[in-house]
Amino acid sequence: MGIILEKLPGITKGLPGGELLLTTADYLIDLGRRSSMWPMTFGLACCAIEMMGSYASRFDFDRMGVIPRASPRQADVMIVAGTVCKKMAEPILEIYHQMPEPRFVISMGSCANCGGPYYDSYSVLKGVDRIVPVDVYIAGCPPRPEALQFAVIKLQEKIKKMSLARGLGATPQQEKGSRDLASLEIKG
Amino acid sequence: MKTEQPEKLSGGKTDSMFINLGPQHPSTHGVLRVGLTVEGEVITKAVPDIGYLHRGTSKLAEVRNYHHCVVLTDRWDYVAAMPNNLAFCLSAEKLMGVKAPPRADALRVVMCELNRIASHLLFFGTYGIDLGAFTPFLHAFREREMVLDLFEMACGARLTYNYIRLGGVMVDVTPEWLDKTREFLAYFKARQDEYDTLLTYNPIFMSRTQDVGLIDAKTAVAWGLSGPNLRGSGVAYDVRKTEPYCGYENYDFDIPLGKTGSCWDRYFCRVSEMRQSVRILDQALASLPAGETMATGVAKIPKPAPGESYAHVEGARGDLGIYLVSDGGISPYRMHVRAPSFINLAMLQETLVGQKISDVIALLGSIDIVLVEVDR
Amino acid sequence: MTQDELLARFTAKFPKAEKAAVPVKDYLTVRLSAASELLPAAAFLRDELGFDYLEIVSATDWLGPVSMEGYIRNPNPNVFLPEGATPQITAVATPGVAYRPVFDLLWVFGNIAEKQKLFLKLEVARELAAVPSLTGLFKAADWQEREVFDLLGIRFEGHPNLVKILTADFLQGHPLRKDYVHIKDKYDED
Repeated sequence: MGIILEKLPGITKGLPGGELLLTTADYLIDLGRRSSMWPMTFGLACCAIEMMGSYASRFDFDRMGVIPRASPRQADVMIVAGTVCKKMAEPILEIYHQMPEPRFVISMGSCANCGGPYYDSYSVLKGVDRIVPVDVYIAGCPPRPEALQFAVIKLQEKIKKMSLARGLGATPQQEKGSRDLASLEIKG
Repeated sequence: MKTEQPEKLSGGKTDSMFINLGPQHPSTHGVLRVGLTVEGEVITKAVPDIGYLHRGTSKLAEVRNYHHCVVLTDRWDYVAAMPNNLAFCLSAEKLMGVKAPPRADALRVVMCELNRIASHLLFFGTYGIDLGAFTPFLHAFREREMVLDLFEMACGARLTYNYIRLGGVMVDVTPEWLDKTREFLAYFKARQDEYDTLLTYNPIFMSRTQDVGLIDAKTAVAWGLSGPNLRGSGVAYDVRKTEPYCGYENYDFDIPLGKTGSCWDRYFCRVSEMRQSVRILDQALASLPAGETMATGVAKIPKPAPGESYAHVEGARGDLGIYLVSDGGISPYRMHVRAPSFINLAMLQETLVGQKISDVIALLGSIDIVLVEVDR
Repeated sequence: MTQDELLARFTAKFPKAEKAAVPVKDYLTVRLSAASELLPAAAFLRDELGFDYLEIVSATDWLGPVSMEGYIRNPNPNVFLPEGATPQITAVATPGVAYRPVFDLLWVFGNIAEKQKLFLKLEVARELAAVPSLTGLFKAADWQEREVFDLLGIRFEGHPNLVKILTADFLQGHPLRKDYVHIKDKYDED
């Protein structure tokens, strides 16, 4: 996989019909990525209970290919579920950098989006997007499990539009490494 | 994980090693960090490091009005938010001199006990996962979702309810809700025997928990433990019995007690408490008084007279108390929370010493902490 | 043992202690006269009256209304709020309240067997506030005293490990002090 990702765009550049090859590879790679998104089991606060709820019997996240992993090395997506405090910011960054590329971040709940009910607290980070780039935001305090599943569907739509021709499959937002709302719209 | 380099090879002696557990670890139920020093497999020193979720709630309460503070209370022990609401409301009502009407009191009891069931179910499920059994989690969440449905029907929220308000409850329950609750209780009684066969008397589970993490009664009291952790050591202390609130004195229920204070005893206390909660719920639903659900005399922006009050309730994790100081302003002058998880967790530094590394999670899980309540 | 009997037994041993002028509602509240009385009083409560359960260690800063500089407030008003509504509460002083530069400390002792509680209060001056630690008598005091130290900056003399417990290492000051001013750290920059 790594060889394909690294070498294929260069090889196909000069070939006749290379674009087509890339598109087919894109399709297959994105299919693989979006059908097996493994999140970190990374609960911070209240939202983590709803996240657990979505893995459990009624909501059954497994049917969407979402299987929780305990190690960041095996994960594709980090679900930041809960309040990010300043003391926790550095561990989160560390975990984010331990995840293999391409990595995605779902910011779950008001606290992770913007600080939520703790908007004026001295020890709460006002939004996880101040430290890591976020792909999908979910509103709610806490959001329902359905909302988390909707976020995963949205992320799948986003992955569908990723292409090899643009770098190593990372979205421009991820390459930039910071918050940039304008680049959320990726043309397919 | 980092190893301390030995000065020179000493014959036959094991080196001590530092193991960092957390802050991101699937079995610490949040963001607890424990620095463990191990000698071979035995822990010689344990240093819990908390504060990864400190949100400064006490500080925020000083610039929120009393109704806003109820919203903050929901988010301490989010697994059992109703008792949190109740503790704050009782304390603030004392300060204002308001008394909730009988129907509101009964509804508060009903909601708190339902929440206790939901909370203990979560414990039951996650404790199973901690010790390597995944199936109980699925069973527990099936029933937990039913309780959450009931809450959703009553107040619209699944986790952070804000249902118990100053002077009463948010809204009266409907007759359909009562029918649904009775239906759930009938269904749930049969499930509890299933849990016993699934996990409680499972030989592997028992051998992993029965002789692990023993806490005797004297130590438990000295560390100020409360809730099932204290009762697991055989001390019959339950706020519902010692200082009944909301009419708990009218209900007939027992306090399950453990014998040795092992992990299994603490676990068994919680599982038995669910049965007692069902008993209380049966009685409360049968004798639900009619009438108002909100007391008159609670202002939109309350300004209680200067004074101090303390009220505590038996939350799902123990004795949850709120100490309020008012200076006559619209927000509490000082709010102190006696958070049971925080005080229960303090014991960890002593209890972990001498345990095997594989028993850490069994012990940690059996204390049943919610990290936000620890850090607030 | 009723509240009056308990008070009588306590004041017989500590004649300088008296019933608090502003009690915690519904509970027996006793005010100590000096910090030196604390350790003997706690030992007396534990060993002779059976109060072996330390429930709370807490403190209140009576300096005045809380300083708004301790909060990170966004100056932009909420555009969706109706005309005339105050979007955010700011603390104001209530006339007639005796604000003074003291810390009002509170210990709550419980007697599980007799179902009783005793609230013990002590006022110490705000400057270099220090009281003896109860960790030698009650293990439960360990983390609770650290919490009070972290949030209010009261030193507990004799505590084996009096270091920060809740707030981040880089946070300066003690947040629950009424004059706490938040200093911007690396995460506050926009």
